[in-house]
Amino acid sequence: MSNRIFGSAFSRRRFLKGSALTSGAFFINTKFNHLRLADVHSSPYTTPWSQPLAFAEYATPLPSFAQLDPLPQLSDFQRYDEFPAAYQYNIKVCEALHCAHPQLAACPHSTYNGSVPGPTFMMRYGRPVITRFENCMPAVMPSYGSCDVITHIHNGNHAPESDGGPWDYFHPGHYHDHHWPNVCSTDPTTGLPDPLEAKGTLFYHDHCHDFTGANVYRGLAGFFLLFDNLDSGNENDPNPEAFRLPSGVPDGKRVKNRYDIPLVLCDRNYDQNGMMVYDSLEMDGLLGDKNLVNGRVQPYFEVERRKYRFRILNSGISRFHDVWFSNGMTFQYIANDGNMIPTPMELQNVKLGVAERADIVIDFSQLPASTTEIYLVNRAEQVNGRGPTGNRLPMSQAPKLLKLIIRPATGVVDNSRVPTTLRQLPEMNLPVARTRNWHFDRTNGMWTVNGQLFDENRCDALCKHGTAEIWKFSTAGGWAHPVHNHVEEPRTLTLNGKSVEGTTLQGRKDAHPLYPGDEISVYIKFRDWIGRYPMHCHNLTHEDHAMMFRWDMEA
Amino acid sequence: MATLQQTEHNKTVDAKNFSRRAALGGLLFPAVGLFLGGCTRGLTTAAAPKVAIPEGRGAFALRADGTRAFRNHELVDQNGVKVRFQDDLVEGKVFGATFQYAKCEGICSDMTQQMKKSYQLMKPIMGKPVNFYMFSLAGDSPAEMKAFMQAHGIDNLPSWRFFTGSSEAIADIRWAFGFGDPNEETDKNLAGHTGMVRFCNHKLDKWAACPAQGSPESTARLVVRLFPSNERPQLAGIASKIATPSYPMKNWSPAKPLTANLASQL
Repeated sequence: MSNRIFGSAFSRRRFLKGSALTSGAFFINTKFNHLRLADVHSSPYTTPWSQPLAFAEYATPLPSFAQLDPLPQLSDFQRYDEFPAAYQYNIKVCEALHCAHPQLAACPHSTYNGSVPGPTFMMRYGRPVITRFENCMPAVMPSYGSCDVITHIHNGNHAPESDGGPWDYFHPGHYHDHHWPNVCSTDPTTGLPDPLEAKGTLFYHDHCHDFTGANVYRGLAGFFLLFDNLDSGNENDPNPEAFRLPSGVPDGKRVKNRYDIPLVLCDRNYDQNGMMVYDSLEMDGLLGDKNLVNGRVQPYFEVERRKYRFRILNSGISRFHDVWFSNGMTFQYIANDGNMIPTPMELQNVKLGVAERADIVIDFSQLPASTTEIYLVNRAEQVNGRGPTGNRLPMSQAPKLLKLIIRPATGVVDNSRVPTTLRQLPEMNLPVARTRNWHFDRTNGMWTVNGQLFDENRCDALCKHGTAEIWKFSTAGGWAHPVHNHVEEPRTLTLNGKSVEGTTLQGRKDAHPLYPGDEISVYIKFRDWIGRYPMHCHNLTHEDHAMMFRWDMEA
Repeated sequence: MATLQQTEHNKTVDAKNFSRRAALGGLLFPAVGLFLGGCTRGLTTAAAPKVAIPEGRGAFALRADGTRAFRNHELVDQNGVKVRFQDDLVEGKVFGATFQYAKCEGICSDMTQQMKKSYQLMKPIMGKPVNFYMFSLAGDSPAEMKAFMQAHGIDNLPSWRFFTGSSEAIADIRWAFGFGDPNEETDKNLAGHTGMVRFCNHKLDKWAACPAQGSPESTARLVVRLFPSNERPQLAGIASKIATPSYPMKNWSPAKPLTANLASQL
């Protein structure tokens, strides 16, 4: 790493001596000859593969006899009568200690129900729910992050009052209710939910304006998985139309015979006491020198010689990934950003900008008997928070994220499969009302979209129900911007004028990674809800410094 | 295109350039400064604990109590009052800092006007305990800074000050606040100087930034969130017009922070 400190010029020993002298910690970036926390690669040594991969427990609904108290204000929700809640959840956003590695400290984290990552929501289309998020954070919250929170379901088809937009943050002692109808976006030709719009791998995270990056870094992220009758979560599903993908999402320590594996990738920094550190003064973006999977530094995971579904999420906050298996093995790529693609693709790698997801199926039964372990690695070279360099690291130098220990099959028949066809794309069946250009740029160190600074009170695009538009996202300069739109998921048309068919950008996507000079063209429909939504860069450092705009939907 | 390299000349403050008025102001303002320093919601302006700042532009030390110490540069304000950066402007303070210069033909004027609107919204807490600082990127003299403030109608706002110092000191502060660019040419491009304002509640090591030219209401909302949620100033006219409602919890008792280091000081 070019930014590594404590190299020959500044030894660990000298650092420790300095720390002792000053009764504090400080860091030097030798490359730029200035000090930043974010650039440092100073975390203490941690023994890799010394702890198993961990999984969050499922979020559990309130018992049928219990009710949220006070009762939710149902009049707050659009179309509640159409989608009355079948279940209620109550999640406490609270501080808790979490230890990412036995050689690191148990550090204060911001958590959902005390869990890092947050509890896994196992949702099903056709089963609307109300979820209450209670802000139980301390009023006094020193150092980075905010005690204000708001939870956004990333790529949820939700009304704005339940979307968790950045302006909806609320402070400790208060709660915010979300109505999640768990309904597909409407097919405008029938007026009914369009099953081709079904989504699968979503996630939820904090979205508090100005502090999203710090709050997510501190732990506020978790999986939100949606199932329907095709992607049913049952590899033995008797329904002949069901995909029967490898199934069984681990529920906390209930891991046995579970083959649908959520993996949230992130990177963090720790000081010499093993405490997690975050540089609130960094403007470009933050990189960590510790790679975490599901909240643990470099864990291992024992897999059987059979098929697995991995749902890989890059939760950031600024690092891009180019995910490979260390042996170069191929896998079936089945979904981008949680959307099943029409036909599986056989790939060796998948690139993930911040907030992008990849669902892949790996058949470990195809490995030679001599292969007993492989690694999930990141081959994207990135030296600062601005974006990847574009270089691919040699396999031998790529940071290892997760060790996979290959175990024999248990003897249970593997009935899972990867169908030759998955979910077809929704029709582009609304006429294009207009084309809008969204240029993401930087002027005088300030983020702009179309030359304008963000103002939540200004609507930059008023979009009418029953219409569609072409949106063109572009950027210039030396920065990468994974741009994310709320609620309406666009369908990618072109990248720099070329079709994206046959690439991982195909189909629907809620996060579009813009690399320097890129222009991405998408088709986007407007329907279902009325109100205001943001679109923003999902490099969370950029987002926190207002690289976003607001657009509104009206009937 | 003007660059810092091209436009910066003598950064040392020349006493001969001080106006008589500024000199008088210089005699008066230490007392005013002491008074203001004592009005920071109980945040006393203690002398910075001695701590070694490592080599390197923008370097700072994270002290054992979790707060940051920067180099204690000597600076001079628009009235000729000498200050120390860490001791007088950072230690225990809540502040917003911009980097500007008097003869800027770019964004500085608009930055100032927008910050002035933010100031008006935050008037009840300006000076008690919030301060605005501007740091001169072009080695302005106190007289030039004073004239700039007069031209923008902010010279009579006691908790808003303009500071000058050596180019090395200002660059060090700018880098420390996150506004340096690793590309030297870009870094020195004065016309492209940052339009961000850096906010800080030093005692809590709470930092944030937003565009100075952004919505004043949004800027004010950011500032109040630098305070503990149960001590936030109530300011009129800054509430979001589009936020959806949240409701008070029943039987809520405030949680104690797990980050004890800084919280224990409160």
